[in-house]
Amino acid sequence: MELLLPFLRDIALAFVVAVGFAILFQTPRRVLWVAGVLGGLGHCLRFAMVSQGFGPIPSTLAAAVAIGLAGIFASHRVHTPPVVFTMPACITMIPGLFAYRAMLGCIRITDLEMAKQDPHLVAQTAHYFVLTASLLFTLAIGICSGALLFRKRSTKSLFRRIF
Amino acid sequence: MFFVAVASGIRDRWVPERRGGGIGVVRGGWAGQSPRVSADHTLPSEIPASATTCRVADLLLDIGTSMLISGAHSGRVHRNIDRVAAAWGFQADLFITFTGMMVSVRNLQRDEQPVARFRKVPIHGVHFGIITAISLLTWKVAEETLDVATVEREMERIRKIPHHPRWAILLGIGAACGCLCLLLGGDWKNGVVAFVAALTGMFVRQEVMRLKYNPMIGFIAASFTTSVIAGMDVLHHFGASPEKTLASSVLYLVPGVPLINCAIDLIEGHIPTGIARGVFGGFVLLCIAVGMTLSILLLGIHNF
Repeated sequence: MELLLPFLRDIALAFVVAVGFAILFQTPRRVLWVAGVLGGLGHCLRFAMVSQGFGPIPSTLAAAVAIGLAGIFASHRVHTPPVVFTMPACITMIPGLFAYRAMLGCIRITDLEMAKQDPHLVAQTAHYFVLTASLLFTLAIGICSGALLFRKRSTKSLFRRIF
Repeated sequence: MFFVAVASGIRDRWVPERRGGGIGVVRGGWAGQSPRVSADHTLPSEIPASATTCRVADLLLDIGTSMLISGAHSGRVHRNIDRVAAAWGFQADLFITFTGMMVSVRNLQRDEQPVARFRKVPIHGVHFGIITAISLLTWKVAEETLDVATVEREMERIRKIPHHPRWAILLGIGAACGCLCLLLGGDWKNGVVAFVAALTGMFVRQEVMRLKYNPMIGFIAASFTTSVIAGMDVLHHFGASPEKTLASSVLYLVPGVPLINCAIDLIEGHIPTGIARGVFGGFVLLCIAVGMTLSILLLGIHNF
C-alpha cells in the first residue's frame, strides 16, 4: 500500500487535469469520465517509467501511444471520435516546466550582463527549448498513433473488419 | 503588347461566364444560366436535379466549415464529407485552407455540371461536442441513408449545441492547473495559488473575448494576469517551490488543439493547413510568453 500511494495520487491528480481540459474543449458531458480515466492511467504509466529511470522523452512517448491506442477501443465503446478524449488526456503530460524554463532563459539572454555571468545559460535555454518541442511532438505522435498504425481507416470501419 | 492581348482575351472569355453564374456558384450550378448549355432547350426538366446538387454542396460546405470552426483536422473533414457524399451518390472534392474551404460536388448518377462553392472559416475555436455530433450524424447518413432535408434540420440543431456553463469551465480550468502544479512537484499552497491564478486569468480572457477584442490580445491579457498572481507566490514565498506555480498556472492557454492538428495534418499530407495551424499555434505560444515576460519584468527579473 505504501508503494501504491504515489501512483494513486498521480492517477487522481491527472484525472482532474484531464477532466478540466475536457471541459475547456467542450467534450460532451457523457464522455468526460473517459478523458479522465485515460489521462490518469496514461500519466501514471509515464510516472512509473520515469521512476524506473527512463528519460522524459521515451516515457512520454510510451504513455501518449498507450493513450492513443486505448482511446481507439474506448471510442468504439462510447460511440465518439477518439480525439475527443485523447486530446485532453495527453494534455496532462504537457511540458509546462521545461517551456517555462526555456522562456525564462530567453528573457535572461536579452540582458548581455546576465548572459555573461552564467556561462551555461545559452546551453541550458537551448536544451529546454528542444526538450519542450520534442515532448510536444511526442504527444502529437501519440494522439495520431491510431491513424498511423491502421492506415487512416476510421475507427468504426476498423472494428467492423476485425469482428 | 502580347500581355495586354492575352489579358484582354482572358477577360473576354470570362465575362459571359461570370454573368451566367449565380451568387456563390463558381461554375455551372443552375444549368439554365450557364452560357454553354443555354442553347439546349431541354432545360426546365434539368433544373430540379442541379438544384439538388447545389443543395448538397451547400450542406456539405456547412458540415465542413462547422467542423473546421470546432477544431477538426483536415483529414477528419475529408472523411466525414466523403461519407455523406458517397451515401447520396455524389463525389465531393475539397480544397481546405486555414481561412476558408471550397467544395466541388459532382453527381455520379447524371452527367451534369459540377457545383463548386466557397465559404469562409472565420474563427478557429474548440468544440468537441459539435465534432462528435457531426461524426455520429455522418455515420447515420451512411448507414440509414437519411434524406437531405433531415440532415439540414440536424445540422441546424447541431450548430446550436450549447457550450458547457461558464462556471464549469472556470472551475475545471482552475482545478486542472492546480493539479498540474501538484503533478510538477509543488506543494498544496503552490497548487492553491495556481488555482486562483488560472481561474482569474481565464475570467479575464473570457471578458476580453466577450468585448470582441483580437483573440491574441486576450491571450496576452490572460497570461499577464495569471503570471502576476502566480508571481505573488515568488515574491512572498507562500509555498515551497513557486517556480512550479508560475510554470503550471498558464498551461490552460497552451493551444494544444491547433498544435496537435498541425502535426496530424503534416503527417497525413495536408501541408498548407498543417503549416498554417503550426504558425497559428506558435504565435499563440509567443503571445503567452509576451504576457508572462511583461509581468516578470514588472515584478523584477532578479526575483525569478
